[in-house]
Amino acid sequence: MAGGAARRRHIYAYLSILPAIVIIVLFTVYPILYNVDLALHKNVLTAPGSHPFTGLKNFADVLKNPGLVRSFRTTAEFTAVIVVGNVILGILIALLLNEKFFGARVLQVLILIPWAIPVVMAGIIWRWMFAGNIGVINGFLYSLGLIDKYYSFFGNPATAKLTLIVARLWKDVPLTAILLLATLQVIPHELYDAAKIDGGGAWAAFRYVTFPFLKPTLTVLLILETLTGFVTFDLVFVMTGGGPADATTLLAWYTYTEIFTHLNLGRGAALAFIIALLTLVMAMFYFWALRSEELY
Amino acid sequence: MRMSTGKRVFLYAMSVILAIWLIGPILWIVDASFQLDNELFSIPPHWIPQKPTLDNYKYIITRVPPPAYAYDPGQIQMGHKASGEALAAIPALKNSFIVSTVTMALNVVISVLAAYAFSRLRFTGRNVSFSFIMLSRLIPAIAVAIPFFAIIQALRLLDTYLALILVYLAFTLPFTIWFMTKYFDFMPPDLEDAAMVDGCTRFQALTKVVVPIVAPGIAATGAFAFLNAYSEFLFAVLLTKTMASKTVPVVLSAAAINFDVSYALASTAVVLAIIPPIAFALIFRNYITSGLSMAFGK
Repeated sequence: MAGGAARRRHIYAYLSILPAIVIIVLFTVYPILYNVDLALHKNVLTAPGSHPFTGLKNFADVLKNPGLVRSFRTTAEFTAVIVVGNVILGILIALLLNEKFFGARVLQVLILIPWAIPVVMAGIIWRWMFAGNIGVINGFLYSLGLIDKYYSFFGNPATAKLTLIVARLWKDVPLTAILLLATLQVIPHELYDAAKIDGGGAWAAFRYVTFPFLKPTLTVLLILETLTGFVTFDLVFVMTGGGPADATTLLAWYTYTEIFTHLNLGRGAALAFIIALLTLVMAMFYFWALRSEELY
Repeated sequence: MRMSTGKRVFLYAMSVILAIWLIGPILWIVDASFQLDNELFSIPPHWIPQKPTLDNYKYIITRVPPPAYAYDPGQIQMGHKASGEALAAIPALKNSFIVSTVTMALNVVISVLAAYAFSRLRFTGRNVSFSFIMLSRLIPAIAVAIPFFAIIQALRLLDTYLALILVYLAFTLPFTIWFMTKYFDFMPPDLEDAAMVDGCTRFQALTKVVVPIVAPGIAATGAFAFLNAYSEFLFAVLLTKTMASKTVPVVLSAAAINFDVSYALASTAVVLAIIPPIAFALIFRNYITSGLSMAFGK
């Protein structure tokens, strides 16, 4: 009986996805509703028990704060640098790993190591590498005679930003390279032969054969890395604490400190809502761009 | 086809630079773990420890201070600044292990069940629920920090393993469900169809026929869930209070921002903390790379 089979299929399907849906609803839909409710009321931990409805006041307060604009700009800069760095280094490393020689086989194992290390620990290691007292980077530059006394990387806004970028790229480029390598390996060899016959050099082969194949993967990686830039929190926590001044105050860190130093949950929720919206809009934009791409 | 010597030299030179970039930081932190603070502070640094010692490891593992760590007011740079955070490494590792392993096990079961239904069955609401799960992943963690805290508090789960496990499930499931769905899509349904013709139910076909075939994908899913749970930081900071549930990233981050920390001890704690994920990644290497190739490749 067809109807009975269809019903059984539906019941089986719903039971299968139920656990996942329940957990995700509990930890995404409900939190967002909760956030909206918080944001529309006054809610300061220092004045418990008094939660009058304040409409959009929290949102206005948050948007008026020049710190938000500054941290947004810092985040946009940081994200742009890591996205570009990630793509360029990722492609170069993937091309190196795709060559047939012993070194590539060793590197294909080593490259998993930074990927596997938790961000917090990567941040701690780089913090100590850049440190002004025990830092080996200072030690190295000193041994080479390039500096005559240890430099405080975390004391200068530009170099503090640099430390975050270095740690982020160290952690993220391996996955980019692994995924690009996987894509490179499915490119049919005949295409390169054809490019050669057509008289193209190495660049032409890259431009007209390799790159079009990498493009869909690159688009996915672009989205991932942009989102990473906007949610980077752990690295800031263990490396710079947002400083010096607010030079490395990325959005996620800004939100965290707004919530936990001012203990103003209403404003924190409004800020959180704005950031979630921003991420969503960005992701939508990417999906739209992705859809207009011709995917193979 | 033989490679030209020039190209070979170039490739090896690039490989050496890349290898140093990839594992140089790890080698240095391992190097530091065999030194004491007074040696670590020498300028320029000792690339090879002059007085290599296992004292840091002994101290962290047994929690009994070796003679070098005995309190000595004259020796400011010595390791007597025994930071409690670094010494909590072993209990924190235990917490991390429990949370990550349970997250991994539950994630695998839940995502295989859901992904199989998404891949094989046509049902009302399929596209909507799948899109919903994927979209949920776009919510930045920090944006739901306050509500998560409130939910966990309302459930009376603050400072418990279960709190972390639930949150980590919510954050890892979208990726693993997407990944396993893609993985099932690659598998032709012939074998399980045959099994069902032979009288198996759909669930039996899944557990007896399909699961053994997709074992590599399941291994990759498990590795992903484990590593993610092991690494997570924001909620671990927010939802844990004591050593009853504090995980490794929480304990080590406290050591990192403590200016009075013993760098030698803390480096040793970092080394101990990165061994499990590295071992995990290397053991599951083939599954992870072939799984990723499958999901992102053709």
